[in-house]
Amino acid sequence: MAGSAASASAPGFFRLLSARPSVLVAFALFVAIVAACVLLPLLGVTDIGGMSVRNRLTPPGEGGYLLGADAFGRDLLGRLMVAGQVSLGIGLGVALLSSAAGIWIGLLAGFFKRLDTPLSRLIDAMMAFPDILLALSLVAIFGGSMGNVILALSIVYTPRIARIVRASTLVIRELPYVEAAQALGTRTPTIMITHVLRNIMSPILVQATFIFAYAMLAEAGLSFLGVGVDPTTPTWGTMVNEGRQFIDNAFFLILFPGLIIAASVLTLQIAGDGLRDALDPRLAKET
Amino acid sequence: MRSYLVRRLVGMVVVIFLVLTIAFVLVRLAPGDPASLMLGPDATPEEVDALRIRLGLDQPIIVQYLTFVTNALRGDLGTSLFFNQSVTSVLATRAEPSIFLALFSLLVALVIATPIGIWAAYRRGSVGDQMSVTSAMLAASVPSFLTGLIFQRYLATDLGWFPVSGYGSPDADFAERMRHLILPAITLGITNSALILRFTRASMLDILGEDYIRTARSKGMRERRVVLRHALKNAGIPIITVVGLTFALLVSGAVVTERVFNLPGMGNLVVNAVLRRDYPVIQGTLIVVAALYVLVNLATDLLYLILDKRVKY
Amino acid sequence: MHHRFRPLMTAATIALVAASPAIAEGTIDVAIIGEPDTFDPMISTKDVVSIVTQHFVETLYTFDESWSVVPLLAAAMPQISDDGLTYVIPLREGVTFHDGSSMDSADVLASMTRWVEVASRGKAIADKVESIEATGDYEITISLNAPYAPLMSLLAFSNSAAVVYPEEIIGDEIAEVVGTGPYKLEAHEPDQYTQLVRFDGYTQPTGAAERTQTPDEIRFVPVPDPNTRVEGLLSGQFDYADGLQTEAYDRIEASDAAEPVLLEPFGWPVFAVNHKKGKMTELKFRQAVQAALPFDDMLFAAFGDEKFFQTDGAMYPEGWAWNTEAGTELYNQNDQAKASALLDEIGYDGDPLRILTSRQYEFHYQMAEVARMALEAAGFTVEMDVVDWATLAQNRDNPDLWDIYITHSPFLPEPALTSSYFSTAREGWDNPEKNEILDRFTSVADPEARKEVFAELQEIVLKDVGLIKVGNFNALQGKAAGLEGVVPSPWPAFWNAASAE
Repeated sequence: MAGSAASASAPGFFRLLSARPSVLVAFALFVAIVAACVLLPLLGVTDIGGMSVRNRLTPPGEGGYLLGADAFGRDLLGRLMVAGQVSLGIGLGVALLSSAAGIWIGLLAGFFKRLDTPLSRLIDAMMAFPDILLALSLVAIFGGSMGNVILALSIVYTPRIARIVRASTLVIRELPYVEAAQALGTRTPTIMITHVLRNIMSPILVQATFIFAYAMLAEAGLSFLGVGVDPTTPTWGTMVNEGRQFIDNAFFLILFPGLIIAASVLTLQIAGDGLRDALDPRLAKET
Repeated sequence: MRSYLVRRLVGMVVVIFLVLTIAFVLVRLAPGDPASLMLGPDATPEEVDALRIRLGLDQPIIVQYLTFVTNALRGDLGTSLFFNQSVTSVLATRAEPSIFLALFSLLVALVIATPIGIWAAYRRGSVGDQMSVTSAMLAASVPSFLTGLIFQRYLATDLGWFPVSGYGSPDADFAERMRHLILPAITLGITNSALILRFTRASMLDILGEDYIRTARSKGMRERRVVLRHALKNAGIPIITVVGLTFALLVSGAVVTERVFNLPGMGNLVVNAVLRRDYPVIQGTLIVVAALYVLVNLATDLLYLILDKRVKY
Repeated sequence: MHHRFRPLMTAATIALVAASPAIAEGTIDVAIIGEPDTFDPMISTKDVVSIVTQHFVETLYTFDESWSVVPLLAAAMPQISDDGLTYVIPLREGVTFHDGSSMDSADVLASMTRWVEVASRGKAIADKVESIEATGDYEITISLNAPYAPLMSLLAFSNSAAVVYPEEIIGDEIAEVVGTGPYKLEAHEPDQYTQLVRFDGYTQPTGAAERTQTPDEIRFVPVPDPNTRVEGLLSGQFDYADGLQTEAYDRIEASDAAEPVLLEPFGWPVFAVNHKKGKMTELKFRQAVQAALPFDDMLFAAFGDEKFFQTDGAMYPEGWAWNTEAGTELYNQNDQAKASALLDEIGYDGDPLRILTSRQYEFHYQMAEVARMALEAAGFTVEMDVVDWATLAQNRDNPDLWDIYITHSPFLPEPALTSSYFSTAREGWDNPEKNEILDRFTSVADPEARKEVFAELQEIVLKDVGLIKVGNFNALQGKAAGLEGVVPSPWPAFWNAASAE
């Protein structure tokens, strides 16, 4: 019965999407943002004229700049899309990397009693460091390349995944069919992957969605503190930060990147919530 | 109960050791020789050697580690390279703004989140429920430096309701210093209310579905009383947990807010330490903050235990 | 001592709305761009250190409003021997240090000796100094082995300054700075404030303008974020704010609470050139960079409005004695085709040109971005290395790590204060022809003759691309409405500052 939960959840998810329009809207909006960031630069629609300093701070709608021009006279829309690839890339990278690491740590801790205590304490110790502070120190120590920012934030968020995976593994390990498989001599790695991992994918997916969102916010914070990604690589965070000095004469320079960060983070969280509701067995029981 | 306590305490000691180890390893992982990194390019080889000896870097790594741990346990977190004083005394001067900022912002978050969370749970699924949860999430989705900047610009500079930045003049009394924390606390509180709101709502939802609430209702108790007396009392326990953890995170998680409002707290200290390559301060702050988190965690768990006993039916 | 006690706050005044700008009477609050990392201006060349420390430590000479050297702790201008080798400096009598001791030639001797040993500008002339001697209780004699015209400017400069400390405190490091200035250090809370109070035992200089000691107290508050400095100034929290972004000009001007202070022109952004190692050691490559750079666009991107910059290739702007047009035809060529041709000529292999910069000053980064675009258009491969200031300060001393780094300088009263001209500087510009011109420039005493030599120097700076001056820019500071007595300067001083009320 637990084995069928994952497969049963997919139609459940879409049922829920249609039942809760807000989740549907959020999901669609996020997909639209991602699609725009990937497709618009490919189609070349966003790069009008490259850098033309004389057009700096052109207001939105004027001179062919749909969202205005930045301090270098670059098309803001185009910049937003290119920066979006980096920001979304960081979010996705952190979500994937921390999930991958968290799953292994959690599975090992949950499955092998001897590893449980040391790994759990390690998770506790990592969780004791506040995220932005730890990320800040890590970036300070390793340097602020995009890879290092992803790495630092992944280290920060790995324990969250690991904790969830461990807790779920502990439960699933005791299920009769897993015990049966063990008794039949199925190898432990096989059990871990085929039985356990398949059944805990949904909470991981939910958590990874939130980490995706938090990582994008954290990246913006690091940019503000001056230890983020190398500023020649545009991100939404660096764009808001660069726009700060123009708060009086070109508010749109912080408005648009600020809006798109907020929209992405919000829609991701709503989607994550929707996902959780859809996949939560308790809710499934009620419906 | 007792065995639980012992287990918790042992676990805590282990975690503290691990925290120290992580902090030790982190700084060792920095590329290059720590001593020459700390002193910068102008340093002569003699100065670097002197610092290596002062920091004990000439000792075998295991000796270094043991010295580091024993010193840290005695409260000696090393000496700041920039301030030329002990890291503990530097941290001590930065504790007040950070702790009170955390307290106030938590208060703001609770004042916003608890009533809305209860109401949203009660009206579960309604438009109002979705709206309030969504707006709390939206507030948490805007980078906090942007929120702070806009508040500072319009509420402090233009309207003059709050001090713009800093922590008061040198002779400012306690009340004056606290006044400088109001706007940062609002900024931070709004950002953090989403988590508490969602947690309150979720806990209330759980409780509202429980049998004893149904019983109370069926006994004809007035709805408002059911919600406020029974449900809230029970939902309060998980809320305390999240509040405790949020507090611990806020003490230093306010890095960005402290920066925007130029508050001399621990978060700002770390950012400056990072920019100044003051590794002992980075290391020391990480340790203190993590230890604080562990302690608060323990305290909330204990509180949970005590309260849980009392409210058991 | 002027200790003031603020009445205890009543409950009403701590209420939300009581956001009175809490300026105590007689106190001047100044927002500075960062924490001074030392109070010993001998070992620092940071402007923020000069701004703060000039209030409590003093030099033998200083500059007046028109950048002429005038006596401060010295009683008069020195007697200079005809061969220009001996400077006899009379000292003022009755000058008291903050610790109560009085200044005599032993203190000055010890301080000057330390300056030549530890200060970067002192060390730079150490090989020219034959001896420093106390030739009387109140007389000091400096003997040189070659005439050195910029000596007086060096002695007057507040940056890597030849300040006078009591003999007793002098060592490699000075733990507690004791000076003679009109204000003394009362309290210092790092990252929060530096509090100075009036020094009652101060005696006025005979040459330099009077230090009226108007405020009871001066507080320097480090505010690293430029936006926060503007908000603090506009809300009345600060009486003065340094280092504001020019974008804030209109808003400050529109405000009733504050006025903009525009230093016009303030200084020059510069692309410092690595002559020691790498691509830029090749003349044609340097000339290609020079030809490709669009200086007007770089300045426009960085400062936004002609009000804040001038596209000017001369090392000193109009109005300065050093202003000359020699060689400036090579400035702002904005000729990517010529650059491209030069690159072809030397068979450029596409090895990246590494530009080291930081965002401590946003305009550095903005100029670099525009430069990169133009350089790439001309066929350069450009690698931008954008780091924090601490890293930049570290990396620029390693010639393996960069080809160009970006910095800026105020227009200094004496060209020889600009270290980049000297082959001993980190850039290592060691052109024999330039060295010869520079030697002449520092040894000739006659001002008119020096101007002519400087024109030669400027010409070779442009011809040999010794450094790349981007243009002139104006700096923005801000003061509270009605604040008087602060002379606009890269290093504003507040001893005469008075609020209007």
